[in-house]
Amino acid sequence: MIEADDISVAIGSKRIVSHVDFAARPGEVTAIVGPNGSGKTTLLKALTGELSYTGTVTLNGRDLVSMKPVEAATHRAVLPQSTTLSFPFTVLEIVRLGLIGGRSGVLPGEDARLPERALARVDLDGFAGRFYQELSGGEQQRVQLARVLCQVWAPVLEGRPRYLFLDEPVSSLDVKHQLIIMNIARDFARRGGGVVAILHDLNLTAMYADRIFVLSRGQLAAAGSPQDVLNDELIEKVFDCRLKVGALPAGSVPFVLPQSAA
Amino acid sequence: MAEQSIAGPAGRVMAADGDRSARAGIVILLLSVALALSIFLSLTSGASDASAVRVIRDWLTGAVPADTALAARDRLIVYDIRMPRVLLGVLIGAALAVSGAVMQGLFRNPLADPGLIGVSAGSSLGAVAVIVLGTTWLAPVTLALGTLALPLAAFFGGLAVTFLLYAIATRQGQTSVATMLLAGLAIAALAMALTGILVFVADDRQLRDLTFWQLGSLAGATWPKIGTIGPVIALALATMPFLSRGLNSLALGEAAASHLGIPVQRLKYTAIVGVSAAVGASVAVSGGIGFIGIVVPHLLRLAIGPDNRYLLPASALLGGSLLLLADAVARTVVAPAELPIGIVTAVAGAPFFLWILLRKRGIVDL
Repeated sequence: MIEADDISVAIGSKRIVSHVDFAARPGEVTAIVGPNGSGKTTLLKALTGELSYTGTVTLNGRDLVSMKPVEAATHRAVLPQSTTLSFPFTVLEIVRLGLIGGRSGVLPGEDARLPERALARVDLDGFAGRFYQELSGGEQQRVQLARVLCQVWAPVLEGRPRYLFLDEPVSSLDVKHQLIIMNIARDFARRGGGVVAILHDLNLTAMYADRIFVLSRGQLAAAGSPQDVLNDELIEKVFDCRLKVGALPAGSVPFVLPQSAA
Repeated sequence: MAEQSIAGPAGRVMAADGDRSARAGIVILLLSVALALSIFLSLTSGASDASAVRVIRDWLTGAVPADTALAARDRLIVYDIRMPRVLLGVLIGAALAVSGAVMQGLFRNPLADPGLIGVSAGSSLGAVAVIVLGTTWLAPVTLALGTLALPLAAFFGGLAVTFLLYAIATRQGQTSVATMLLAGLAIAALAMALTGILVFVADDRQLRDLTFWQLGSLAGATWPKIGTIGPVIALALATMPFLSRGLNSLALGEAAASHLGIPVQRLKYTAIVGVSAAVGASVAVSGGIGFIGIVVPHLLRLAIGPDNRYLLPASALLGGSLLLLADAVARTVVAPAELPIGIVTAVAGAPFFLWILLRKRGIVDL
């Protein structure tokens, strides 16, 4: 369980997140949504200890502030929005960095094969020898996800659930890979881990999230299941945009929903 | 769920599986042989005809040489002149190359070099202060520390510059390369100006010492000097391998490294103190020797990749070899006189540095 009470984050003199309560349960995909600049990434950075905050964050019952980096790293892995490198690492060398803590959770000896398995899961079979810097943005994002998966390969370690923090994991991906990545997230949760993901696509969010936290101007606007949260009034209030949930486009305009994936 | 894999577009592949550790092992082995050869050549060649081979053979076999006077002269040349010089060259070459590699990892940029961003200038300022003011203003300090005063001053000079640079160039865990290079430029200029003031007040004898020392030279190598700075460099170099995994993670950024479980703050401080110690000790005895710290790691990254577990030991080996080579050139091109070695490394290194810039435009994201 990840619990955050009364989280506020200020950068300089500007308060980005104010008094947000948050919780993510193991076994669930928890989505954070909201318009640009609503404080989603800042909240995620507070939850992972990257930014200092007021309030308390606990990870499996322990205060995040009291945890050393190496302890926190056994409980959760974090996928940043994008990562650029200034040295020519190969894809394999990057994914292997996920094994640095040595707590992937597979049997000793299976570790060595893990990067290849992780790359196969994110649909990058055969990319191990390529240079990271020469890949497209979407491919780089999936390499980073493979690295993050290596770090917490087993969703449950020594009886305690582990967590994936994903900051816009599908923002630069085509639709096929959006589905692949979201399925990995859901699978991680089904097997006992927890997932916290910042998402922009409301259809993907409705399809995959068990709980949604909606942020607006740094404050919590709503929290609950997709059925409870995604309604016309909330969307208009938060996104300042009049949209109808469940409305079909008029006439012959085609539309494609991820829910229709076979 | 779509699990089948798509065939990736044909890309440049270094090793089919992306694993370069076997290649790195071979390169490190070859570099070890190259260093052994460089040491052998440096010991056996020189302005005099003294035969190191004969001296060492006599020593090993216990043979009594026919011409004892000549043998004593040769022993003196080999033991007291060439050996300390070779050892110093290896130590300093290794220290500069490894310091370059570590700083580049720390600043996440292949252009970070202790000489380039002012660390050496800070060390020089410390050292020159001791040379010039050692008998007057700083007399109590030099009296208390003895021969350690110079290397310590160089160390603290370098340390101050590195901390200052890091504080200026880093905001919320992100180090701005542009700020780092420009701040380094400004700090180096300031350090050099202060050094200039010290040179201005120096007397004639100090001036001669300073000029030669500032250009960089291994000529002053003696066993006592090695006894002073050798342990410092050895300790700093011995610490660096423990940083290699952390430096690899740091390539992803400070936050990502921390999320992987790396104690980033401790890593940074250890790296900064280690680099300052190694560079300070080098500058204290040999003055400013430029470009080793940037050329060596760059060449090696082309050969074995940026993994610091291999890059750091390989840099030590190649740095030692290259500096011995540069010293051989410095000793022979204008024999019987000697060029300062800093001139040799600059003449060879500066064009190389420009070549890196031309090859990889956009390496500095200003």
